[in-house]
Amino acid sequence: MIRVWIFLLLLIGATDFAWGLPADGGSREQVSILHLPSDPISFQPGPGSDLANRYCLICHSAEYVYMQPPHSREQWMEIVNKMQTTFGCPISDEDMAPLSDYLVTQNSLQPSPSAPPVQSDEQKKEIAGRSPNHSGDPLKGESLYKRHCLTCHGPGGKGDGPIGQALIPPAANLTLLGKQSDKTVLETLRNGRPGTAMPSWKNDLNALELNHLLSFLRTLTP
Amino acid sequence: MNGEKPGIDRRHLLKGSLALGLASFLTPRGLSANDSSTATLPFERGRRPLIAFPQKRPLMVMTTRPPQLETPFHIFNEDIFTPNDAFFVRWHLANIPQTIDVNTFRLTIRGRVNQTLSLSLQELQTQFDQVEIAAVCQCAGNSRGFFQPRVPGGQWGNGAMGNANWKGIRLRDLLHRAGIETDAVQVRFDGLDQPVAQATPDFRKSLSLEDALHEEVLVAHSMNGEALPMLNGFPLRLVVPGWYATYWVKMLADIEVLNQADQNFWTTRAYRLPADPCHCMKPGEDLTDTVPIGKMPVRSFITNMEDGRSIPGGAPYTIKGIAFDQGYGIDRVLFSVDGGQQWQSARLGKDFGDFSFRLWEAPFTPEPGKTYSLQSLAINRIGESQRFSARWNPSGYLRNVVETVKIHAT
Repeated sequence: MIRVWIFLLLLIGATDFAWGLPADGGSREQVSILHLPSDPISFQPGPGSDLANRYCLICHSAEYVYMQPPHSREQWMEIVNKMQTTFGCPISDEDMAPLSDYLVTQNSLQPSPSAPPVQSDEQKKEIAGRSPNHSGDPLKGESLYKRHCLTCHGPGGKGDGPIGQALIPPAANLTLLGKQSDKTVLETLRNGRPGTAMPSWKNDLNALELNHLLSFLRTLTP
Repeated sequence: MNGEKPGIDRRHLLKGSLALGLASFLTPRGLSANDSSTATLPFERGRRPLIAFPQKRPLMVMTTRPPQLETPFHIFNEDIFTPNDAFFVRWHLANIPQTIDVNTFRLTIRGRVNQTLSLSLQELQTQFDQVEIAAVCQCAGNSRGFFQPRVPGGQWGNGAMGNANWKGIRLRDLLHRAGIETDAVQVRFDGLDQPVAQATPDFRKSLSLEDALHEEVLVAHSMNGEALPMLNGFPLRLVVPGWYATYWVKMLADIEVLNQADQNFWTTRAYRLPADPCHCMKPGEDLTDTVPIGKMPVRSFITNMEDGRSIPGGAPYTIKGIAFDQGYGIDRVLFSVDGGQQWQSARLGKDFGDFSFRLWEAPFTPEPGKTYSLQSLAINRIGESQRFSARWNPSGYLRNVVETVKIHAT
């Protein structure tokens, strides 16, 4: 239940703004670090929400939609079109209409920051039968991967999905994750990676699903 | 920028910096479904969580990524200068640098200049005049949520603005140091923020050479006596007093002198107004001729009474507020309690300069049982006043209608 929002900024070796005049020799450690929170809300599940998750969340959080006044389908179509043509969203032409349809269905909603996804009874049973350090099921992880990760990271995880190469920085090559600990990979899955298009999945995937995904990712490493 | 990686051990950093006693550290704040403090703007879907981002007190979160944070309006009643930790935040692109190394950071001045400059922060602070100016920074879309009919875009209330004392170097001193070529016509500004998708146009803005050479235009490194907060553009931002904030490029790192008009998207296609003198049109009309947004029309607000409030009648009140314009300065503010039928002159507060908020106040004794429509009307020194009817344009810019605060006396 704990949403860890670490908002901290460290001005290392800097008092108010001592960057102006470092002492002789200067500290090489005068770095300001900005930690921004991950997205607080998700697109509400429904026909087309997978498109909104796939495309809209590349560049911005779902609040961009949920703060808007209600728009007609024509207006949403115009906005989606602007995202494609003006802002370079890699949305396919055939996805534009269903995405606009979905956005119209969201017109009257303003979701609150949500609790993490609920585990089903079946999943709870599955967890209960395992030790805390259990490994997930790579097959279940693979189906999650195909649903949520493939468009950016590509079928083999090399970051070469249809959207992944259009990003700055490009989607990560997951076959190189070998050196990262389970903890680090899970943290990235949960919280996303600031400064990249990698979103937080903690509102969409529960702990068990994240473990399945981790197990699948481990199969990608040579 | 530097060698720090996202995976850096935060605990180690924290420990190390605290040991030096030099860290500026914000307490992490939690937000859960049960623990959300919110504020609500008076339009549909106006609910905003109040969350503290880095170096900020809890502000109204319009969007998290990229961050767009609105100043709760009561802040404007507390001080003529908006505190840095309450100052609004608006980024266009989510790829915001996570780290700035103040030792390796360089500001580049290049293009149609005699000599390309690459200046460290230390050089900027020691080799140039340091000047200070009080100026209002107001988002072009401030108050967009009040447009009727509603328009797409960031749905701000009135809190996407702030007043600060900006300190830095005159842009023209930098341009003159570099030496402007005779064919220069515009100056373009680029910050360190980057798009997430490759095909998204990078955020850059341009000014004409003439506007760029105005003496009040600064490359600012400080705000209200402190370094700029990261979210307000640390370590440098352009300050263009009188102009909408879209020109106040944050994390400014690159200044390019051009010998032809800038063709980049953010200048030629975004932030455009209907070209007619009113910069307004009827909803549904086609927008054909446009001009870039520029300076801010005169505005005023009541800051110590909220719309819809009940107050005890029979007692004297002092109604307080703020006014500002594009830099001619505020000549007078009129105040009405009957929706604009009769006006009295408000008393102006101390003058902090032509680009600053100007405080005003007026006495008011409500009678019990009556309802009042409080209004303020600012007029600047060239006689421009606020509008009595709200202008409409499809991007929701330039609102400066006389605002109304309805109250009831009990």
